[in-house]
Amino acid sequence: MTGFVKQRVIESDVCIIGSGISAAMVADRLARTTRGRIIVLEAGDEAPSLASRYALRDRYLQYGESPWPNDHLDGYEMEGPLQSRSMQVGGLAMHWGGVTPRWSPEDFKTKSLFGVGTDWPISYDDLDPFYQEAEELIGVAGEQGPASMDPRSKPFPMAPLPLTYNLGLLKSWASSAGITMWSQPSSKNSRPYDGRAECCRNDTCTPICPIGAKYSPDFTWNRLRAANRITLYPRTLVRRLVTDARSSRVVSADAVQLGTGAGAPVTFRAKQFVVAAGYVWSSHLLLLSGVANRSGMVGKYLGGHRNQQAFIELPLRLYPGMNGQHSLVSKQFMRTPPDARYLRHDLRVWESSYDRGPRLRDGAGSIMLGDDVMRDWRARTTTGVARVRAYYDVIPDRESALTLDTARRNSWGDPLPKLAFRDAPESAALRSYSDATIKALFEKMARAGNGKVIRNEEDDDGFQDHPTGGCRMGHDAATSVVDGWGRSHDHDNLFVVGAPTCVSASCANATLTFCALALRAASAIAK
Amino acid sequence: MRAMPFLSRRAFLGFLAASFPAAALVRRAHALAVDDIASSPRTLRAVGEAVLPSELGSFGTAAAVDHFQRWIAGYRKGAELLHGYGTSTLEHAGPTPATRWAAQLDGLDAQGFADLSLERRREMIRTQLAALEVDHIGSVGRAPHVAVALLAHFYGSPEATDLCYQSKIRSQTCRPLASSSRLPLPLAAGRA
Repeated sequence: MTGFVKQRVIESDVCIIGSGISAAMVADRLARTTRGRIIVLEAGDEAPSLASRYALRDRYLQYGESPWPNDHLDGYEMEGPLQSRSMQVGGLAMHWGGVTPRWSPEDFKTKSLFGVGTDWPISYDDLDPFYQEAEELIGVAGEQGPASMDPRSKPFPMAPLPLTYNLGLLKSWASSAGITMWSQPSSKNSRPYDGRAECCRNDTCTPICPIGAKYSPDFTWNRLRAANRITLYPRTLVRRLVTDARSSRVVSADAVQLGTGAGAPVTFRAKQFVVAAGYVWSSHLLLLSGVANRSGMVGKYLGGHRNQQAFIELPLRLYPGMNGQHSLVSKQFMRTPPDARYLRHDLRVWESSYDRGPRLRDGAGSIMLGDDVMRDWRARTTTGVARVRAYYDVIPDRESALTLDTARRNSWGDPLPKLAFRDAPESAALRSYSDATIKALFEKMARAGNGKVIRNEEDDDGFQDHPTGGCRMGHDAATSVVDGWGRSHDHDNLFVVGAPTCVSASCANATLTFCALALRAASAIAK
Repeated sequence: MRAMPFLSRRAFLGFLAASFPAAALVRRAHALAVDDIASSPRTLRAVGEAVLPSELGSFGTAAAVDHFQRWIAGYRKGAELLHGYGTSTLEHAGPTPATRWAAQLDGLDAQGFADLSLERRREMIRTQLAALEVDHIGSVGRAPHVAVALLAHFYGSPEATDLCYQSKIRSQTCRPLASSSRLPLPLAAGRA
């Protein structure tokens, strides 16, 4: 005989599903601008406290162990290039690089300007105030680039991270190649900010900042929880969104609370629902629920950017390790000239120790021991190596998609997602040209510094960085999932925010744009 | 029945753990290997003198060996490793290397390694590394030979980088942000 278990029901005004950086932005803005009850649901566990992060970092440095142990659900091995298995309070932004460029005005109107892709339903100017708000919330230290390449209406909240001695030399080198570069904007404190410490450049921003100088969403969650402005439920996996057949409004999120056996079922009822679960789990939940998908577009148009990378040997004495994750950036190549084929890319330069490490065998293949190893190492470090990388824009195909994989299911029998990225035909046709053009730029840079390219690398087939899409925004309900505010075309109390709503993925790191989109959505949710 | 050749308690447990990798057995074999290496450090120190740079001096070499021993003691088989990007596959730390390295130290000890000249020790290690076809220093935990593991542990440290560049780069440590724009200060003569 089965015992009767009363279904637990929890009511709120706004129910946010996911606790990553986009969710944190929504919660923060709603907490500031409304009085409603906000709950946040996260399938993963709590993140380790700030106080424990030095010890976790030490295990990472010494043994390569994950500094975020158990930040995943078991049984979620899936097909396709998942960006990260990580799932915990704070999401992937617990271990992000903290790199926060804005996208460019051109990103939002590639069809109008260049005849490729799809225009967004919003412009850069629409997003500008929310970029600013995001930069102030998470604390961005940045240098204003040339206004023609890097427009903004207000200054960065913090002065830029200083260029290291190495980056100073590399900036001069880039300049000699005709490239204007500046300090990469980063969500790392160049001074104490919002109760968090100044960056002390200890080189492990990714995967873990042990002092909290890099923003991560746990800071927002800790503040909002301490102020009793939200209730956050970790280990709570939402399996379905349920709609009212008459009104088509979403009425509940049906979840299981993990940790014991099959998990206790819980129903979360709310006036408004916000799906903020990233580019995978947002589409996955909507597909499992059969909601917001009258267009058939849920899961479609997964986007990202591809990269070309090179290591360039230069006759410069560099000292790798001075602030290894900080870089120079240029937006000089984000605007395709009128007479050129479509190619837009960013450009970044780092110090590198590639090919400059100690080695066991000398050039002739003999084993070195004792003083010979150090002598050989010293001789090879009289010149330096720069790492240069360009992300280039890839137009997503409609069938670049997340689908439900009925061959792989989680513990509750729900199909896992399956991911397959695909370039739109115009991007596929341009791939060789894009790769060759960027490689030629790297060669030109090397020549300008009397150096040489010693290695080229590119993304493996299948993976695109900073993935987006799956619930793209648009004016037309037949070809998009949400409107320009992130509101579902099909359910007026359902919002999707951040990465999944992007129409395209630009050619630069994306997290700040996800934040800005989430804040803009929150401004509509609050109305 | 043929008599088994003499095996130390540690070597026997190491053999058992490799054949029947039950968790308790593996843990015990690891602990015994760590204890053995720690309780008779002469051979490992002799390896350090042979493979590490002489400019460390006897104090620096002993310190590098001690740090390496602590690394061995802290190894955790099965610990979750950093996730890769672009995949949902999780990775975990492999079997303890301590048992393998302890056996190699036993082998060196049996040949009076610590009493040999530095050049003879290096010859012996070169021969063993050549037989193992070791080509690069690589990561500590995957080093096929204890001498390479010691090299990897030392050369992966910020101190080794500073020694190479003769400069106080102090990578991976907390340093003032503002001073990053300046050329790193030189090391004091002979100091890492």
